[in-house]
Amino acid sequence: MKTYNELLHEKRNVTLLEILDRVLEKGVVISGDIVISVADVDLCYLGLKVFLSSVATMERLRGAPILGPMQEPT
Amino acid sequence: MYMKSNGNNLIYLYCLNELTPKLKEVEHLVEKLYFIYHRGLYAVVSLVSKDEFCEENLKTNLNNMEWLEKKVYIHEGIIQGIMKNTWVIPFKFATLFNTVDNLKACLEQNAAKFKENLKYLKGKEEWGVKIYCETERLKESLIREDKKFLLIDKEINSSTPGKVFFLTKMKDELLKNKLDNKIIEYVQNSFERLREQSLEASLNKLSPQKTNGQKSTVISNSVFLVDKNQINSFINIVNILKEEYENDGVSLDCTGPWPPYNFCT
Repeated sequence: MKTYNELLHEKRNVTLLEILDRVLEKGVVISGDIVISVADVDLCYLGLKVFLSSVATMERLRGAPILGPMQEPT
Repeated sequence: MYMKSNGNNLIYLYCLNELTPKLKEVEHLVEKLYFIYHRGLYAVVSLVSKDEFCEENLKTNLNNMEWLEKKVYIHEGIIQGIMKNTWVIPFKFATLFNTVDNLKACLEQNAAKFKENLKYLKGKEEWGVKIYCETERLKESLIREDKKFLLIDKEINSSTPGKVFFLTKMKDELLKNKLDNKIIEYVQNSFERLREQSLEASLNKLSPQKTNGQKSTVISNSVFLVDKNQINSFINIVNILKEEYENDGVSLDCTGPWPPYNFCT
């Protein structure tokens, strides 16, 4: 059973996917001079997300660290 | 701090604060990190090159995974670092301005909204919970607990090929319905119990997933805004749910604290 502190200080591999989900699709949206839109993040990224989420799932459940976003799932 | 922006640069906005942000810990992540003060708000910014971030090149770079990974880690790293000392409103990746005046105009226009949001977010953290299901394990568990399947199997074993086909199809449909309902039950049950330990909660849509060769699928992706004083109770429920769901091949993955990306206006 993990305590708050253990979770906080655990050397975790916060997956790239978790970060992308937040910084690309959430966060404040304002009328800056340049702001990316959903249309900018096209199919290539979406396809990559599918791949990334499968890697993240496997590694996380095995408890192993993720070496990099492009690691091939075994 | 005087920031000189020239024609080759854009101003990249990371987050807003109510109190003076401490830049020292994260300023090594970029060439130079600044804050701009305007109307009681501190905007944490850096200069970035138009080469990389002008509208046209940005669109190209967004599809370059290597570039994107590097930049999002900088973005997230800076905000997480600032967040250690004072609560933040995080901005979306690549929120850019041509001039300081433009940034200030934006702050001016939205000052009331930002201040209200910052006031609300003080003393709170965002936590994320993803739930994974090992479909085959859950199916086995469902078959075990419902005698109906045993009876169908008995009938299958003593039936003609035609009837076997029909019965097998019926069994598969029955199992699929049970599986779907059980998954809904897990998602709703866990969400409600976690929501009770939080101030705000949101069930996010799921990303498309590879289905071939996947042992596990994501069945739930939710985020919670938790009062710092309630964190232990929240984590406690996560651990309880982990234990309860384990035998059915359902697991929880809890991450945090995050900047409140899902809870800012």
